[in-house]
Amino acid sequence: MNQQVNSAANDRRELTSFWSGEQEYCVDIMSVREIRGWSVATPLPQSPNYMKGVINLRGAVLPIMDLAERLELPPTQPSERSVIIVVQVGERLVGLLVDAVSDILSINPDQIQPTPDVGCDQAKAFVRGLITIEDRMVSEIAVERLLPDPESLAA
Amino acid sequence: MDELEEIKLTFFQECDELLADLEAGLLKIDAGDAEPELVNAVFRAVHSVKGGAGAFGLEALVRFAHVFETLLENVRSGKIGLRSDLVQVLLRAADVLADHVAAAKLGGEGDIATTAAMVKELETWISGGPILPQSVSEPELPPNDDGIVFTPVTLTIPEVDDSPKEQVWTITFQPMDELYVKANEVGLLLREIERLGEVEVELLDDALPPFDNLEPETAHFAWKVRLKTEATEERIREVFEFVEGDCSTTIVRAASPPMTAEPDAGPDIAAIIAAAQAGLAEPPSSVEAQSPEELSSALDLIPSLPAVSAEVVPRDNALSRQAPARAGGEKANPATIRVDPERIDKLIDLVGELVINQAMLAQRVAGHGFAASSDVGRGLDELEQLTRDIQDSVMAIRAQPVKSVFQRMPRLVREIAGQTGKQVRLVTDGETTEVDKTVIERISEPITHMLRNAIDHGLETPGERIAAGKASEGTVRLAALHRGGRIVIEVGDDGKGIDRPRVRQIAISRGLIAADAQLTDEEVDNLIFLPGFSTAKTVSDISGRGVGMDVVRKSVQGLGGRISISSRPGVGSTFTLSLPLTLAVLDGMVIDVAGQTLVVPLSAIVESLRPAANDVKRVGVEGSVLAVRDAYVPLVDIGRVLGFQAEATNPAEGVVLLVDSEDGGRAALVADSIHGQRQVVIKSLESNYKQVPGIAAATILGDGRVALILDVDALVAMRKREPVRAHEPLIEAAE
Repeated sequence: MNQQVNSAANDRRELTSFWSGEQEYCVDIMSVREIRGWSVATPLPQSPNYMKGVINLRGAVLPIMDLAERLELPPTQPSERSVIIVVQVGERLVGLLVDAVSDILSINPDQIQPTPDVGCDQAKAFVRGLITIEDRMVSEIAVERLLPDPESLAA
Repeated sequence: MDELEEIKLTFFQECDELLADLEAGLLKIDAGDAEPELVNAVFRAVHSVKGGAGAFGLEALVRFAHVFETLLENVRSGKIGLRSDLVQVLLRAADVLADHVAAAKLGGEGDIATTAAMVKELETWISGGPILPQSVSEPELPPNDDGIVFTPVTLTIPEVDDSPKEQVWTITFQPMDELYVKANEVGLLLREIERLGEVEVELLDDALPPFDNLEPETAHFAWKVRLKTEATEERIREVFEFVEGDCSTTIVRAASPPMTAEPDAGPDIAAIIAAAQAGLAEPPSSVEAQSPEELSSALDLIPSLPAVSAEVVPRDNALSRQAPARAGGEKANPATIRVDPERIDKLIDLVGELVINQAMLAQRVAGHGFAASSDVGRGLDELEQLTRDIQDSVMAIRAQPVKSVFQRMPRLVREIAGQTGKQVRLVTDGETTEVDKTVIERISEPITHMLRNAIDHGLETPGERIAAGKASEGTVRLAALHRGGRIVIEVGDDGKGIDRPRVRQIAISRGLIAADAQLTDEEVDNLIFLPGFSTAKTVSDISGRGVGMDVVRKSVQGLGGRISISSRPGVGSTFTLSLPLTLAVLDGMVIDVAGQTLVVPLSAIVESLRPAANDVKRVGVEGSVLAVRDAYVPLVDIGRVLGFQAEATNPAEGVVLLVDSEDGGRAALVADSIHGQRQVVIKSLESNYKQVPGIAAATILGDGRVALILDVDALVAMRKREPVRAHEPLIEAAE
């Protein structure tokens, strides 16, 4: 996959898109480590509601975050059809709970428009830009802003 | 990486070891250990750094090391006595040398001004020391000279000479084949001896077979050297250091040189030099080449063999003496290998997976109804034992003595002492205490902070100390020991102790406690761990920024450790830091709480029990205690504190774990049920997420699911603070 991306490098970007709370979002394909089915997570005490808990990812402890809930949308109801997208953010890995993976998009950077002021702070904070493909609108998620600061301690 | 770079990397690794040896040696000397071998070890360390640096063309480093080495050489030869002020200079020179190495590592050069100042100081000492009168100063030995250098001091001004008496040694030296195989050269060794004093060399060719039988690759010659020198036997032996084991050497001391030869020694020495030079060039004919007159006068100097005293130390078997002689500095165990730590980490990760897998397998086998006594069950038992052994062995590979951290501290102490104008002596204890690398890497910072704090806040100025009737030099003690499956690190000072009224006053003025708060001495002492607390009158760049101790406590807690302080006014304070031995595995009790599986560190658990209903007493609206034998212990409902359930489990229906918490108090944790004991592999929550209050880490159980490991102290503290949260904002802020 890497080679494809590199050879097609001429500025084109590849994005993985998915559905969450009846909207379509996407993240840069290079940040996606793997996509896996939902498995029951061990809940973390004293954590925000959008943190669904932690699961075992081949020996590593992977925190699972409900993307919809993080964006202050109605929480995702995890089912057998739900999907966890494991994305890398810096040195850390985090699993995003979403409804379904939909597509791989190959776009030109100029297809991305800045997020307009939609009055919803969370959405504005976590959406990097909007992409219009045919009649679909896909929001690109800024994954690095999703995770809480590792230094911050809930008192 | 190109090959040279790789070698260079090895060189720097060796440098680090050598610098550590250097400092350790100097500190031992400073502590009053005057073993000549120590001085030699120190000298060798600097010499080796210089040698390696020369090979890589690190000129600034070589130049500095050379001056340093020259001074050490003078110390070693006894020209300059080891005084404590000199040792201090040497220690600082060692710091500068370390800076140079560090700079060279990054491709730069050490700080020029510091180096120049240090060089000047060293040179003052080389030329006789800052206090000694000028007249005694001796001509500096030209470095790396090929010519023959004698020090004629004893002859020209014998009356001021208080250096060791000259002695005459007879050295018999017989190389073995190996010496030549390793490309050593006798000529160089003889020349080296020649530098120590006056020599007469005689070739012993008795063993030379007739030409027909001559084996060209066999050693046949031996040499007898008569050496008149001030140097010690050790110094002479050093010449043979690199050929040890490849030759047989005896060094015999004559009773004493004939005193009558002294006044008219001039011409004799000339003769000996001539003889020596001739001897080097043409060994077999050296003696015959002299005129009879010169020969006899030269021989007068040397007592005939029967007069030689009985002090003979055979060197045929070098090994037998090697260990004690080298204990000072050289690496004691040559049979070590260097391994990339990443490979060991990988191995430890794999063994961790193996442990999890073994547990999973055991669980599945049990699920299929195999009894523990069946073949399969027994096989699994053995597998478990084996897995554990492998894990222990692998962990042992990564265990390191805390020495590597402690070694860095003397320099820090010197620097802080310099900055604060205090006199400090650092005493370390338990350097060989071993702890896993994961812990080693992370204890350096808290120790640094505690030391800074001890010197900056704990110790008084020399004036204050004298006024208080103490020695002007303060003592800071850094110790490590194993206690109860943990490593305990103590940093103690003999300073003024915590000024409790002042601490209290500051805490009140900062709004950290209420003005009328009733606090025990211990509680007052622990106020210094609160965020933003600082007692320094002036904000210094050492530890007065007010971010000190709370940060230390946080980072220590992050390691699953505890920090506490005990203090006695006027006598001193001691910080005690307790940490797990490894951050990789843990013995734990697996419990069920509100449908969740949790692990409680076994080290925290005193006992587990099923209480009777009438042992549980309610206290107030929320609280309840458990009567355990003759004491009441507060009950802590794990599920409620962690927010897993709203209603507390009835302790009489569940299981209670009696735990010891940080402050020495006990608490009774209430769980639904106990699954049993298990060794679990610690997985960090922080690596992908962040710290969670009440949770120390996570692990993966036999069923492949993640279980959380409780932080017992934090949990108890969370329970404690809940009812009083409204009145005491300070405690909340502290957590």
